[in-house]
Amino acid sequence: MNYLAASVESLGAKIIGGLTVGYGLLAFLTEAFLALLDRNTWNRATFDVVIKQVYFTAVQILPVFLTYALVISWVIITIILSTARDFGLAEFASEMTIRVLVLELLPFLTALYIALRSGSAMNTEIALMQVNNELEALAHCKVPPMQFEFLPRLIGGVISVVALASLACLLALLMGYLSIYGLNAAGFEPFTRTLAKIFDFRIVAGLLVKCALFGLAVTLIPITAGLETPKKLFMVPVSVLRGMMRVFFAIMVIEVVSLALKYI
Amino acid sequence: MAAIAELGDDVARVALNLPLRANLSALDNIALIPLYQRHFGAAESIRQAHTLLAQLGHADIAPLRDPDMTPAQRFVTQLARALILKRPRLVIDRPGAMLYDVPYPLFIRQLAAQADLSGTWEIYDFSWNQVLYPE
Repeated sequence: MNYLAASVESLGAKIIGGLTVGYGLLAFLTEAFLALLDRNTWNRATFDVVIKQVYFTAVQILPVFLTYALVISWVIITIILSTARDFGLAEFASEMTIRVLVLELLPFLTALYIALRSGSAMNTEIALMQVNNELEALAHCKVPPMQFEFLPRLIGGVISVVALASLACLLALLMGYLSIYGLNAAGFEPFTRTLAKIFDFRIVAGLLVKCALFGLAVTLIPITAGLETPKKLFMVPVSVLRGMMRVFFAIMVIEVVSLALKYI
Repeated sequence: MAAIAELGDDVARVALNLPLRANLSALDNIALIPLYQRHFGAAESIRQAHTLLAQLGHADIAPLRDPDMTPAQRFVTQLARALILKRPRLVIDRPGAMLYDVPYPLFIRQLAAQADLSGTWEIYDFSWNQVLYPE
């Protein structure tokens, strides 16, 4: 009986904990959205910080990221092509390549890449700011942390994930064409017809929304996890661990929901 | 000390529990105030911050970030950040906790002599340090 009560209690605590985290995320997102609509937010200073964020999140990693996207695309395209040929389905290879790589795998891997590189750094930085009282110091100086610290990170994250995923997708399309048709313009017509068949408005809009949600997840969750950190230095790694687990969970949920909406 | 925490918005505080933004230089920490509070441009905010640091006699610390500063340099930056707020009262909370590498009553007096004073400076310190402040 005691065991049953303890289990129910533990389950209840987990549900309440999850709901609290969800509420915190929603409340923060609402606050960020209201700040976004506030005219005072849009001064030169905020704009400069957004530019800096995009630079650190997307531009700085461009060579490594493009190499990574190129290698992944090449490997996956080669696997798809050889499998399609083995099964006599070569005419479907370009469509399969686009559906697997461009619509699913590359946006997902981009989000994971940014989460590991920038999301974890953001989580650590905000947690340290929280522990060191830097946010209170900013509040004392009437420098709004939402405008100065958080909103530029959110906007920068969304722009970076959308931009990097788009670049990776374009690169994959180019790789796909070259792998299937080689340096030959003859394949241009069937390839573009396949593209037009796949990329209707609903799919493009869905892809953009998915990338934007990925961008939001890899910034919003680390920021809120950092802000939840108790004022104890040894809690910083715990905060990062929790934040990154939530990011991974959120990315998975977005991907699964997107797949379900598309194919079920 | 609880009284210090309850001080109103007209008081600029220099305190150990109000640290600098660690990833910004001394200059950027000070320039944040005109930039975000008074909506000056970036160049003008930097100019004002630089002028204030020069006025305090520490223009050389402008590019340093918090971890690279000595306690005295950190204090000067925090003081400049408090001064640029242009509030009528300035409270220095337990300076001994921040300025453990210099004879601090003299150091603060020297800074006060250099700064263009408008408003009052108040120092809150432990009673057993009263001997450090000759009348």
